[in-house]
Amino acid sequence: MKKLMLGAALAMMAGGAQAADDVTLQLKWVTQAQFAGYYVAQAKGFYEEEGLNVTIKPGGPDIAPSQVMAGGGADVVIDWMPSALAAREAGLALVNIAQPFKSSGLMLTCLKETGITAPTDFADKTLGVWFFGNEYPFLSWMGTLGYKTDGSAGGVTVLKQGFNVDPLLQKQAACVSTMTYNEYWQVIDAGISPDDLITFKYEDQGVATLEDGLYVLEDKLADPAFVAKMVKFVRASMKGWKYAEANPDEAAMIVLENDETGAQTETHQKRMMGEVAKLTAGSNGALDVAAAERTVATLLAGGSDPVISKAPVGAWTSVITDEALK
Amino acid sequence: MTWVAAALVFWGLAWGLNLRLARGTSRAARLAVPVLFGVTVLVLWEGLVRGLGVNAVILPAPSAIAEIIPAVLPLLWADFVQTFVKGALSGYAIGCGAAVVVAVLIDRSPFLTRGLLPVGNFVAALPIVGVAPILVMWFGFDWQSKAAVVVVLVFFPVLVNTVAGLASSDRMARDLMATYGAGYWPTMWKLRLPAAMPFIFNGLKIATTLALIGAIVAEYFGSPIVGMGFRISTGVGRLAMDLVWAEIAVAALAGSAFYGVVALIERRVTFWHPSQRARV
Amino acid sequence: MTRALPILTVLGIILILWYAATVWMNAAFVRDQAARAGTSVSFAELVPLTMAQPRPVVPAPHQVVAEVWKGVAGQAVTSKRSLIYHGFVTLESTLYGFALGILLGVGLAVAIVYFRVMEMGVMPWAIISQTIPIVALAPMIVVLSNAMGIQAREVPKAIISAYLSFFPVLVGMVKGLRSPDAMQLDLMGTWNASGAQSFWKLRLPASLPYLFASLKIAIAAALVGAIVGELPTGAIEGLGARMLIGSQFGEPLIMWAALVAAAVLAGALILIVGGVERGLRRRMGVPA
Repeated sequence: MKKLMLGAALAMMAGGAQAADDVTLQLKWVTQAQFAGYYVAQAKGFYEEEGLNVTIKPGGPDIAPSQVMAGGGADVVIDWMPSALAAREAGLALVNIAQPFKSSGLMLTCLKETGITAPTDFADKTLGVWFFGNEYPFLSWMGTLGYKTDGSAGGVTVLKQGFNVDPLLQKQAACVSTMTYNEYWQVIDAGISPDDLITFKYEDQGVATLEDGLYVLEDKLADPAFVAKMVKFVRASMKGWKYAEANPDEAAMIVLENDETGAQTETHQKRMMGEVAKLTAGSNGALDVAAAERTVATLLAGGSDPVISKAPVGAWTSVITDEALK
Repeated sequence: MTWVAAALVFWGLAWGLNLRLARGTSRAARLAVPVLFGVTVLVLWEGLVRGLGVNAVILPAPSAIAEIIPAVLPLLWADFVQTFVKGALSGYAIGCGAAVVVAVLIDRSPFLTRGLLPVGNFVAALPIVGVAPILVMWFGFDWQSKAAVVVVLVFFPVLVNTVAGLASSDRMARDLMATYGAGYWPTMWKLRLPAAMPFIFNGLKIATTLALIGAIVAEYFGSPIVGMGFRISTGVGRLAMDLVWAEIAVAALAGSAFYGVVALIERRVTFWHPSQRARV
Repeated sequence: MTRALPILTVLGIILILWYAATVWMNAAFVRDQAARAGTSVSFAELVPLTMAQPRPVVPAPHQVVAEVWKGVAGQAVTSKRSLIYHGFVTLESTLYGFALGILLGVGLAVAIVYFRVMEMGVMPWAIISQTIPIVALAPMIVVLSNAMGIQAREVPKAIISAYLSFFPVLVGMVKGLRSPDAMQLDLMGTWNASGAQSFWKLRLPASLPYLFASLKIAIAAALVGAIVGELPTGAIEGLGARMLIGSQFGEPLIMWAALVAAAVLAGALILIVGGVERGLRRRMGVPA
């Protein structure tokens, strides 16, 4: 808290006579290298250069970023596209303004000893997923494979994972949802060798959906001052992301500096940054509309219980990125 | 703005009515006052949400919540059975039973009693959000870990109260039993345990709220896809706030009914105690 | 010594049971690992392995003590890895919430004792309010405070803390304010005491023993509330945040150390309240 206030004071002094524009970013989860680009942009002064005073609010359990934004607690949030589309259908008009993450890092990791060798072996097994916005790709995939998720015979039993991979380690679930940059390595760190695991990447299974993207409320986009602010924000953030990709170790240390709990470790964050860089590589921030439409198609095809019931209209805009990447 | 004004007017009228009702002592009056108070809160809520245009994603209006209840009733029932019946009730029964048994057993040894109580108070102060993930890791995802969390939560309050209760029978009564030639166990069954009942029930009433809260919080840290805690936490994630509030309403109802049932049993069992006399 | 010996005995028994549990519950993982490596492990080899795992199911007591020591003495007090620093963050919220809870509890109690309409209308709802799970309300409280323009995290944390701690204070204070019997109230009447004098000189002092008994429960509840409140406010600082991050990132020892620190903090707070109570009773002349 003290560091943030000092930093903000310094930033304001450095801005000189020009009053800096305030932007509040609500992260999807706690401070970690998954959000390195924004922390790097803040630490390296990219936001200051654009005349922005950015407050980064970490997320956590119980924090729904879109709810925070609806309550006026944030100007822009990070969310996954399935959850944003579902929120849009539920009445909260979220619009994607940038997509730093090009590829999906979502996977399902299983213990080989359960006998699973392919998705066709999931029947009658227990699979874990975190919920809180991340269950949509999973439910879509199960729907596509034809598995009921209510635990009936021939379907799969779904477990709401806590915040770690213990269900797999304690053999309470045959498979758990993992991210390439976080939980998978926790399983390895816990002492299980990759030879004892079999992993299904959503990208390989053709059911990947777009992940971390920047979203704002639709009505705010009608305000040209807000749009201008977002243009600057996206430009500086993408600069931060590209710097982080090129200097992963430095980025990891910056993230560690910003971790107020002191519970993160260098090893974790450096490894996470390395993996996240693979997901952001190839993206300049602009949303790939074809990828977005693939996401929509995956969600609509979710069998008997689709995540969204009809194709969204106006769920993304290139207005900001067109300007920012000129 | 008219909504807010109307709500405030209703509040004023209801307040006036309550003041008048409060002077009566009939059972109907005693029931009407809190009910009217609750209705006023609901009306104020509805008026403020509609009048100030609060987004349903932040706080839904009571009418929206009431509207969704018939649609999700089977879901609410399934969650109730999973969390309350399987998790909270079984944990409550095991925890309270174990606490009374342990209290009676350690009563034989004042040494152990003096040692266990401070340790027990320490354990009772452990924050449940820390204990719950550990117990979920040990006992698995299903209702057993929720019951375990409830056992840990209710054991020590009931133990402390039972020990205090067993010590509450006065000297003269115990001496009287001795003059009848009663041994340790007859004295326990016929004098000390019945005399301890007011204290035990005090503990049991505290334990009812702890049991439900414990079961719900435990579900935040891992659960199958059914249960009140599960529904609330994933509902917040899906921005389905009306479902979340419907679950909260069910939890409040269940908790209050549970407390009420225990209070009713207390009235029958400890009919002799001064606290059960009608208040002047 | 007579007071310490029973406690030490019980603690000793618990320590032995804990070590046994460590071996028993961590053994499965050790055996699995050996099986995966293609070796087997004897019991003598098993025991030390179960007590030195980085991610144990049950950490051995010495592992927890080592981690707590590292957090307390191994760091600068202002470092964010210091348990003392996080303890202070949690303590700050706890004390704000506790103060707010006392204000609310005492205020409502006075209203309930003096106004029949409050007693009949509010008391049942106060009881029902405690059956509403605070973890469900916590995110809503945070979002609503944001919506009202309060950006500081401490405010919603204090509100959540106060929500849990006001009820014991309310119940204890109501009982306490009603504890003077009819004779004592009549005596005040014979001295021509006004309502306010009767309150300040009779009811309030008589309620202090009940209040302090409840304050001990209330401060533990305020601590739990502060920890619960750290989760929806971003899990940034505080013992609750550390518990979550430790649990989430596969560092169970950090979680256990934070848990022990929270329990020690709760115990210390209760002892302080007990100490204040004893001092007050001595000043009021109540026989010990």
